[in-house]
Amino acid sequence: MIEYRNVCKNYGDRKIVKDLSFTVEDGQFAVLIGPSGCGKTTTLKMLNRLIQSDGGEILLDGKNINDINAEELRTHIGYVIQQIGLFPNMTVEQNITVVPRLLKWDKERCNKRVRELLALVDMDYDTYAKKYPNELSGGQQQRVGVLRALAAEPPVILMDEPFGALDPITRDALQDEVKNLQKRLHKTIIFVTHDMNEAIKMADVILFMSDGELLQKASPEEMLRAPANDTVREFMGKHVSQGVAGQDNIPCGEIMRKNVAKVSDTWRTLECVQLMSSREIDSLVVVDDSDRYLGVVTIEGIKARGKAGASVRNILETTVPTVRTDTLAKEAFATLDSTKARYLVVLDKDDRAVGIITRTSMSKALAYMVWGGDAV
Amino acid sequence: MTHLIELYGAMLVKAIFVHLAYVLVSVAAATVVALLLGVLLSRAPRIAGLVMPVISIFQTIPGIVFIGILYLYLGMVPVTAFTALAIYAIFPILKNTYAGLLGVEEKYKEAARGCGMNARQILFKVELPLAMPTIFAGIRMSTVYTVSWAVLTAMIGLGGLGEFVYRGVSTNNSTLTVIGAVPAALMAIGLGALIDLIQKKVTPRGLQEVKN
Repeated sequence: MIEYRNVCKNYGDRKIVKDLSFTVEDGQFAVLIGPSGCGKTTTLKMLNRLIQSDGGEILLDGKNINDINAEELRTHIGYVIQQIGLFPNMTVEQNITVVPRLLKWDKERCNKRVRELLALVDMDYDTYAKKYPNELSGGQQQRVGVLRALAAEPPVILMDEPFGALDPITRDALQDEVKNLQKRLHKTIIFVTHDMNEAIKMADVILFMSDGELLQKASPEEMLRAPANDTVREFMGKHVSQGVAGQDNIPCGEIMRKNVAKVSDTWRTLECVQLMSSREIDSLVVVDDSDRYLGVVTIEGIKARGKAGASVRNILETTVPTVRTDTLAKEAFATLDSTKARYLVVLDKDDRAVGIITRTSMSKALAYMVWGGDAV
Repeated sequence: MTHLIELYGAMLVKAIFVHLAYVLVSVAAATVVALLLGVLLSRAPRIAGLVMPVISIFQTIPGIVFIGILYLYLGMVPVTAFTALAIYAIFPILKNTYAGLLGVEEKYKEAARGCGMNARQILFKVELPLAMPTIFAGIRMSTVYTVSWAVLTAMIGLGGLGEFVYRGVSTNNSTLTVIGAVPAALMAIGLGALIDLIQKKVTPRGLQEVKN
C-alpha cells in the first residue's frame, strides 16, 4: 500500500504540491491526472525520491521511504518515462536486465527473466534480444521500457506519461497491453497522464490534481458521473454529459426527434403515399382529431391491404412500441434493442404523438453522452 | 635513393620510433588526465564555466614558446618533451569529454536514476559510454595534433622527426625536410585511421549512427 500523508513540495516560494494525502491500495491502477503544472509528475517522482518531498511523509507498505536508501528504493519500484529512455548503448536484453544486474542476479536468472518478459509482449527473443533501441519502432521501444520496469519484479511501478510520444494506434495497443499486464501480474501502478481518455481506460482510481492539490479521488465512472467541482468537470469536458448528476435520468423527451410525419386517420391511402414519397419515408404516424395517437401506417401495409382512395383507418398498425416523454431513455433503448421495431413513438401525457425515437437518434444521444457535442 | 637510405636510414628509423613514442606516451597520459578532469568538471558545470575558457586561452600559446619555457626549467630531458606534448594534448580530449558528458540527454540520466543506479554507475554505465564517440573524436584530434607538435621537440635537441625538418630548414636541404615531413604526415594519417578502427570496434551498434 502506498500512502501519502500531508506531502508538500516547494520550489522557492512556489508551492508545487500542497498538503497532499491519499492512499493507493495494492494491485490498484491509480492515474494521476490534471492540467499541466498541477504537480502530478512531482507527486509521482517523490515516491521514488527522484524528487525529495519537503514535508509530510510517504509510506510504502507502512515504511517511510525516507528511511530507505534512495537507490535501493528505486530498484524496487519500476519506472517508465515518457521519452522511453532506453540506453542506446545497450541491447534490448541489457536494457531489460539493468535493474536485475544492479541487484546482482546471475546471468542465467537474468536471461530467463528476459525470455519471460519478452514473451509477455509477444516479442520473439531470438529476433529482438540482441537488437539495439534504435533498431526498434517507437512502440517496441516503449514495450521494452515497460519490461525494464517490470524486470526485477517490483510490486509498484511508476509511469510518467509513458505513451505520450506514441502514435494513437500504438498508444491504444500499449494501453491495452499494460492494463492486461497490470491485472495479470497484480501490480500497483501509479500512472501520470493529462489525457482523460487514457485515464478512463486504464484507471481503477483517478486522482485529479490541480494547483498542487488533490481535488477528487474516484473511480472513472464516479468521476464522470459526479465531478467534484467545476475544474474537474471542465477538464473532463466532453467526457461528462450534460445530465451530469444522472446520465441514467435522461428522458425520452430529450432525445426524440420532434418533426414527426403525422396524418389524420381521415387521410386516404394515395395521399399518404404521396406524403411518404415527398418526405422519403416509409411510414406515417396516424392521429385522431384531437391529435391522439392511433397507430402507424406503412407503405407495406398500404401495398398489401390498402385500397386506392380508402381511408387509412382500416390499415392502421399498432404494433410499434410506444413510450412516454418521461420514460427513461435507457428503457427506450432496451425496448428498441429487444424488439424488431425500427423506431418508437413517443407520447405525452395526453396520448399525443410528440416524437419518435429511431435507432439513429438513439445512437446520436449515446454519442452525445459519451463524447459530448451537439445533441440530436 | 640507396645513398639516402645508407646515409639516413638508421637515423630515420630511430627518429620515427622516438617520434611515435613521444606521441603515444603523451597522448596516453593526456587521455587519462583529460578524462579525469573532464568527468570532474562535468560534475561542476559552474566551475567548468570558469576553468574551460582559461584552458582554451592557454591553448593559444604557441607550442614553441611553451616548449622553450619548459626547457628552461626542466632542461634537455625527454620529460620536457613529454610534459609539453601531453599538456597540449589534454585540451581537445578534455573539451570533448566535457562536452560529451554534458551532451548526454537528461532522459537517459533520469531513466538510470529511476532504475536505481548510483552516481558512479550512471557515469560508467550510461554517461561515459554515451559520450564515448565524442571522447574518441577528441583523442583522435589530439593524436593528429601531437604528431605535428612533436616535430618541435627537435628544437630543444630531443630528436624525433623534427630533427630532419630542422636540419633541412637550417641547411637549406629540402630533401632532409621532406624525409622528416613525409613520415610525420603518414604517421598522423595512420594513427588517425587506427583510432577510427578502434572506435568502430568498441562502439556498440546502437551508437554507431552518432558521427562526430
